[in-house]
Order: sequence, then structure tokens, then C-alpha cells
Amino acid sequence: MRKIRSNSIEQTTPFLRWVSEGQIEEIHFATLEVLERTGVVVDHPEALQLLKDAGCIVNEHRVRIPSWLVEECLRLAPRKIVVANRKGQRVMPLEKNRTYFGTGSDLPFTVDLETGKRRRSTKRDVELACRVMDYLPNYDFVMSYAIASDTSSKVSDLHQLEAMVTNTVKPMIVTAHDEINMRAQLEMAALVAGGREELRKNPFMILYSEPISPLTHTNDGVGKMFACFEYGVPVVYTPGILSGATTPVTKAGTIVLMNAEALAGVVMAQLKQKGAPIIIGGGATPMDMRTTATLYGSPETMMNYAIMTQLSQFYGIPNFTEAGCVNAPIPDAQAGMEAGNGILMAQLMGANLVHDVGYLEGGKTGSLTFLTMCNDYIDNARYMGRGTRIDEETMAVDVIDEVGPGGNYVSHEHTYKNFREEIWTSKQFNTSFWEVWEEQGSKSMEARAEELAKHIVATHNSELLDDTIQQGLNEIIAETDQKKASTRRKNKEA
Amino acid sequence: MSDFSSLAELVINGNYNGAKDLTQKLIDSGADPIEIINQGLMAGMDVVGVRFKAGDMFVPEVMMSARAMSTGIELLKPLIADSDMPSAGKVLIGTVKGDLHDIGKKLVVMMLESAGFDVVDLGVDIDPDAFVNAVKEHSPQVIGLSALLTTTMLSMKDTIEALKEEGLRDKVKVIIGGAPISQSFADEIGADGYASDAGTATELCRNLIA
Repeated sequence: MRKIRSNSIEQTTPFLRWVSEGQIEEIHFATLEVLERTGVVVDHPEALQLLKDAGCIVNEHRVRIPSWLVEECLRLAPRKIVVANRKGQRVMPLEKNRTYFGTGSDLPFTVDLETGKRRRSTKRDVELACRVMDYLPNYDFVMSYAIASDTSSKVSDLHQLEAMVTNTVKPMIVTAHDEINMRAQLEMAALVAGGREELRKNPFMILYSEPISPLTHTNDGVGKMFACFEYGVPVVYTPGILSGATTPVTKAGTIVLMNAEALAGVVMAQLKQKGAPIIIGGGATPMDMRTTATLYGSPETMMNYAIMTQLSQFYGIPNFTEAGCVNAPIPDAQAGMEAGNGILMAQLMGANLVHDVGYLEGGKTGSLTFLTMCNDYIDNARYMGRGTRIDEETMAVDVIDEVGPGGNYVSHEHTYKNFREEIWTSKQFNTSFWEVWEEQGSKSMEARAEELAKHIVATHNSELLDDTIQQGLNEIIAETDQKKASTRRKNKEA
Repeated sequence: MSDFSSLAELVINGNYNGAKDLTQKLIDSGADPIEIINQGLMAGMDVVGVRFKAGDMFVPEVMMSARAMSTGIELLKPLIADSDMPSAGKVLIGTVKGDLHDIGKKLVVMMLESAGFDVVDLGVDIDPDAFVNAVKEHSPQVIGLSALLTTTMLSMKDTIEALKEEGLRDKVKVIIGGAPISQSFADEIGADGYASDAGTATELCRNLIA
């Protein structure tokens, strides 16, 4: 029997906490105060009625939510939400401290991989981004990345889902224009999953819906969320804000306001359906006070996300956060710093869904090259997140004795056995000596990543969807497009 | 230092209480109200505009300067006939139909006001007919359309079409803005201009009106 040390505690991974448990409670109580005293605006009739019936004080659209109700709903919300891939495999359990990375959605502009020029995004960009992420191992889920702006604007979100589901098997988070399109997307998802029941059992899709800061819950935002709960599809309900413009400029004030918006969402969700799978968090970005730009890769955002992740862990509700989204317009040294910091922080904090990876220019421009670079940043962060193994084998006292003073370790079996585990090797970082690097074409990391991205696009295809499913998806898109065109005509005539 | 340049300095520093007191003092001493505006309050804001553009002043500081200017103007308004009120021009602005996003447009409104424009803010989710009616009512020189969502961008085009149908398109310049908007989209739908941020929007309005 192995003789062990008594009173031994092992810390297998690093342990990062930004504030104390007491401070998290302080933020929680401040949030309850906002919901009870200031309240929120709700523009969804059913939600308004549910809130009223549950004991909220409702004046027209203004709803003041009592603390006890918020806390009751927090207890009802699931602590664990399992998300499947397209094939129904339960690959992404959203539980405390499990971290997954993916991109964001709806970038209006793309840097063309072939020409290097920035242009408006198209459906083809959605397809290519999904194929690249399907291939790269550190992307756990996908979002549309680009906007399919060359498709009918009434149903461009449906086109995006079609492009996603045909180009990757990985779990996906979608956006929707309104409730009608959301329901169409749910039907598309059911078709892919093999029926509504299969979709409910193993949902491979999550909706991303938003309140509008400060404290406004729209008819569309809530309507889309409720539609998903009817299908058992999880919902990210989180605001995207500008500190100093739509929230207080202080970090703590920003977090309190965003938390109030998210918890109002939790209350509506649980009143709609006990145990409704809701995910909290959001994009806590300050406004650049010189340019009014949204600061994504800034230190404040990462500090905010650290606390918001702690909050979600305190509540026991999965969270949605952001990293790898930078303000640099090109994948340069600034971009590397911005992305690397955020990704490492998210990994060490144990955030759940880390989206927006691979965004340039403050969330306006996409680049498959940068998306490919970020795969290595994530690899690096995950490596650090795994922590340092301390045991007899790794402390290697026997090996040190064997090699003795003046010897070498490079030819030792211990090195041979452990080097792959103990030294991280990057796929794309330059680590060659200068002369070798020159011989190999003096390529920057960006150039190497661009080559890899081109290679993936040229050679990798995801597993194909069945022809009949593909056809069914196209039919739903066409029907919805027609339905919307006729509603528009009717509205115009009226 | 003259009282006018002291007043300008108070505006630059965002000292609204000081600006209010000094404006009152100047009124009491019999200074010309229009000169108080042009040589004191607006002169201060002109400096603020230059410094902001150079990156030496920040948005919240510009807002405080604008507040200092408007506390002075509030005192002067009753003393000046409407038609004599100095103005850089009149701008009508709103977020288009289907879009409830407010902040980008609000920033533009505040920057325009701080640059001396007379701004009518219609709010959010404004349909083309409401824009048309407001143009008839307020006769602005420029109309600004805002959208954050790609789905509501097209409503900008509808609004421009509605202005054409009513024969108002030649009477007003149309500018557009918002995260998904670009110059090429502005050209595509026949807008007169596009601005990427609030500072640029102010300059654009100046150029279009000049």
C-alpha cells in the first residue's frame, strides 16, 4: 500500500478569486435593492401578468420585484445545463468551473481571407468561420461570427443557423430577429435533432437574447426567450452595456445594474416555467471616453467578468461571458495582449460560456486569421489552467540523484516520458532561432495562422447533414420569408 | 482677463455654477446677450470642440462644459427674440422603426447640442411617417437616422423613400449612423452622409449646413 502524508491538501488547478464571498453578497444585496426599489420596465404582456400574479408591484410597464421572489427564482433555476452537439452527444455540461470557448455572432464586417480587404460580411463568412471552428480543437461551441448580409434581411438569422448547422457539429448559440423567426429556428433545430422530443432531451442550440440597459426588457427579447423554454432550449439572457453611458461608470455599479437585469430575466424565466434553463452574465464593456468606442479588450472588462463569474457561481447558475474580443483593428501585438489576458482570466475564473473569441475592432470586424490565432491562445490558457502536478514522479528526486551534479537530463528516460506533458508546444507561435525562422520565410504568427486558416477552408468539411433535412431547412426559411413579406404588406396597407 | 474670456474659461472647465453666476453678472451689468453667447459661452465650447477632437478632453468633460453653456443660455433666452438666437442649425434625429437602442443616438444629440445645434430628438422605434411629420413640423436642415440592428438598417431606406414620396427629400439632408452602418451602405440607400461616431457626426452636420 502507498504510504501517504496526513493532513494533505492538493490544489490540482490554480485557484483564482477576485473578491471575497462577503463582497459577492454585498453586490447581491445591492442588486436586490435595485430590483425592489427602482424596478425594471417589461414590455411583454405575458411576462407582465406573470410578475403581477407572483406578487410584484406593477404600474403599467414598471415592475418592482420583491427580494423574496428573486431569491425563490434563483433557487428554481437549474445549476447544471447540459448542451449537446448536433449529433445529440452531451458534450458541453454547463456546470460550475467548466470553461468553454466560442466566437460571437453578427459581425457586420469581415477581413476577406483571400484579398485581405475589409468588406461587409456574407453568409459564406458564416459558413467558413464554422468550418474553421469545427476543425480547431479549442473551440467548443460556435456562434454565427458574421452577418449573412447578402441574404433576405427578414430571415438572415435563419440563413445563419442553416450555415452553422451545415458546417459544424459543435454546439451553437444563435440570435434571432424576433419571436416569429425564433420559432422558425426552433423548428429547424427540431428537424436537425430528429424531432422536438429529441431536441428537448439533448438540445444542441442555445438562444442569446438581451435586455436593453438600463433595466428594459423588450417584447422581442422576452418573447424569444419564452419560445425557447417551450422547446426546452436553454437561453442566455444577458445585457451588452457601455459603462459610463448605459450603466454607472464605476465597475461595481456596472455589475450591480447588469446583475439586476439578468436576475429580472431569471425571475421571468422561472415564472414562465419552473426550472427553465437560463444562463446569466453579459458584456460589461466601458465606453472609451475619448472616442465613444466600446472597449472590449480592456482591463476593466476582464475585472468585471471575474466578479460576474464569481456571482454566477454564488447563485449556482451557468454564465455567459466574453474574451478574445479586441479593440485592435488588426491581429497585431495589441490584439495578442488583449485576447490573451481575457482568455486566461476566463479560464482561471472558471467561466462557462466564453464567447466573442476572434473579434477585431471592438466587435465589428471578423478575421479567420485572428480566429485561428486565438485557438493557440486558448490552448496556452488551458495549459496553465491545468495547473502544476506535484508528486514523486514530477519532483523527480530519484532522477536528480541518478543524474547527479554535472550530468544532463536531455537523454534521460524521465524527460522522454514527461516532456510532452510538462512543456507546452504551440502550433503557430514562432519559437525557432533567427536563422531558421529566416530560412522558413520570416513569417509572423499572423502569416502562419493565415496559412492554416486557408488550409482548413480548402480541406476541412464537417460531417454532412442528411439531404432531406437540408431540404427541410430551406423550406422553413422560404416559408418564413414569405410569411414576413405578407405581414409587411399588410402593415403597409393598414 | 475680460469677463467674456472668464466665462469661456468657466465653460471649458465645466463649472456650471460659476458660468451661471457670471452670466447673471454680465446681464446685470448691461452686456449684450448675444455677445455673451458668442464671445463667452460659445467661444468656450469652440475650444472644447477642438480639444475633444485632439483627444485632450473626454466625453464626460464635454458634457459638463455643455451643461455650463446651457445654464448660461437658459438665463439669456428670455432676453433674446427667437429669431435672433444664435444656432449652428437645426437637426432632427431618431432611432428607426423596430430598433429600441438609444445610447449612440443620445451621444450624437449631446455632442450636437454642445456644438450649438438646435436638436429635436424623436426617440426610438420611429416609423417613416413619424419622421415625415416631424420634418414638416420642425423644418430641420439635417435629419439623422440611427440603427444598431442589421435588421432595422433597411428601415433607413424606407424613411428616405417616405421623404421622397412627400416631396421633402430635397429640403433636408439625411445622415445615418450606428454600428452596422458604413459609407457604402449610405451610398446604397441614397443618404447624404455617414458618421462613425458622435464627434464626426457633429462635423458632418456643420459641413452639410455650411
